[in-house]
Amino acid sequence: MQILKFLSIFLLLHCALGNFAGENEFAEFEDFEDSEQNFVEENEQVQEDPAANQFIPVNGENLNEEALIEEESDEEEVDIEVDSEFEHFQDTDEFEGFEEKEEKPLTEPKITIAKVPLNLIHNWDSYYLEILMIAIMVAYFINFAMGRSKNSKIASTWFELNKQLLEENFAMVGDDGSKERNENVNLVKESENVYTLWCSGRTCCEGMLVELRLIKRHDLVALIANLMKPSVDQVHITVRMSKEDMDNFVFAAAIKKTALQITKDLQDISIYSPERKAGEKFNLPASFQVMSEIGEATSAMLDSKIIAILNKYPEYVDYIHFSDQFSGMKLTDDINPNPNKMPDVEKVLRFGFNLQTKGVPLEETLTRLKPLMSMVFYCMDKVKRYRLSREGKLKADKNRQKVEEAFLKSTHQARAEAAAAKREEKKRQEKEKILAEEDPEKQRRWEIKEEKRQAKKRAPRMKQLKVKAL
Amino acid sequence: MNSTDPRRSDRIQRYVPLVKNGEDLTPDYMNIMGMVFSMCGLMMRMKWCAWVALCCSCVSFANTQTMDDNKQVFSSFMLSFSALIMSYMQNPTPMIPPWASASD
Repeated sequence: MQILKFLSIFLLLHCALGNFAGENEFAEFEDFEDSEQNFVEENEQVQEDPAANQFIPVNGENLNEEALIEEESDEEEVDIEVDSEFEHFQDTDEFEGFEEKEEKPLTEPKITIAKVPLNLIHNWDSYYLEILMIAIMVAYFINFAMGRSKNSKIASTWFELNKQLLEENFAMVGDDGSKERNENVNLVKESENVYTLWCSGRTCCEGMLVELRLIKRHDLVALIANLMKPSVDQVHITVRMSKEDMDNFVFAAAIKKTALQITKDLQDISIYSPERKAGEKFNLPASFQVMSEIGEATSAMLDSKIIAILNKYPEYVDYIHFSDQFSGMKLTDDINPNPNKMPDVEKVLRFGFNLQTKGVPLEETLTRLKPLMSMVFYCMDKVKRYRLSREGKLKADKNRQKVEEAFLKSTHQARAEAAAAKREEKKRQEKEKILAEEDPEKQRRWEIKEEKRQAKKRAPRMKQLKVKAL
Repeated sequence: MNSTDPRRSDRIQRYVPLVKNGEDLTPDYMNIMGMVFSMCGLMMRMKWCAWVALCCSCVSFANTQTMDDNKQVFSSFMLSFSALIMSYMQNPTPMIPPWASASD
């Protein structure tokens, strides 16, 4: 309170002093204003002078300046001289017709407009490209949000429709691979358009991976690309079979386009069954092609039930691929981490289904896929039960042996080089170890030993030469 | 347990993500392109390059994997934004598209 009082007193004092000072603050400028007024009046008088007021066109600037300087410095002198020298200006006879000429402008003044830099012109129309780019960005992000929600809706609807079937077949539905197993994991979102689901705990298989590869609806660029090269939403199912539950054979049936692609890209099909046969031969729709390694296995797999389903839903099936030698895509030398080793293979059943979402309600499309999902489980049990005949088995084993031999042959030189390099490295390490030791006696012994070994290596060659000479 | 029930809880195997050969490389390509265009925008003051870099960053962001590190996308965005801001701060004139500058 005391502080407040003190402050209020201080403020009051300050205001009072301020008012007092304000009364006299501009007192000293009063005389100055008077003198300035006088000065302005004088200036006005000067401007009234006809010689100074005259308009001087473009090139008359210097003259005008000189005239002004003369006026300022020699004002008094001019006054005197005007009286004596310019007396004849007062004579009206001297200026006959002069005023008439003066009224007309001699030439129009030339106006030169300086170039104003562009950045000073704040015209939003000129920024049309920037506005366009921002609009594209906004459209991209709106499409991103919409596409993302659409893809997520497709995935969740698929899962809801197939949840019961999956739970009837697997002890575990949904796993994200984290250390602690989470019971509530369903679909795992790999990216905005790829969803995966891992199911495990069933007879005859280690697990089943379902991948929903949807159109990149969230990416405007991909959507435009999709207009040029149309693609559809797909469900890829990979069943990893147990080793004892599948015999050795490679078989695939796919629509023509995919058949061409997989014979080119997949290692097992390109090696074991590169030949593409027409689907009609196996009572399949004409759009299908069959790649078979062992005839009897193919005809056993394509039984009446599977043929009926493929004929009923030809547009929904992209490929069916059963293989005991599946190792994924063909590895080129650039990306193969270990070119001297045969790639690891596993026994798989792969299925690819198309989701035709155009013009058909989503729920209906996904319901149509249900028989195809049942076919997957039917195939698993069938493959488990199926056993190749003796001839078939022999043929399959022979094929696998041939492939292995061809691989070993092709990598023989590379393996020999690798072995030599390894030997060399071992020797170098041994030498380094000996040299690092402080005991000279040990070093000397090692050198003698090494010399002996080298001599022994050279010796048989010498003998051979002697034999040849004889 | 019912004999027709195919479920076997003792055969449960945990999910091991496979290393895929045919992985989508779009985000990586877009990242590199974004970086190149950002550099062009920063060094050569080409505004359209900075805008293209921003577009590349957006595509990279949209296509990135959920498990991937987001730092790359973030740095790509920062670089393209800085290219854009620097080029407009130094010269706030409207963008000259490449086709217009080529015809001059």
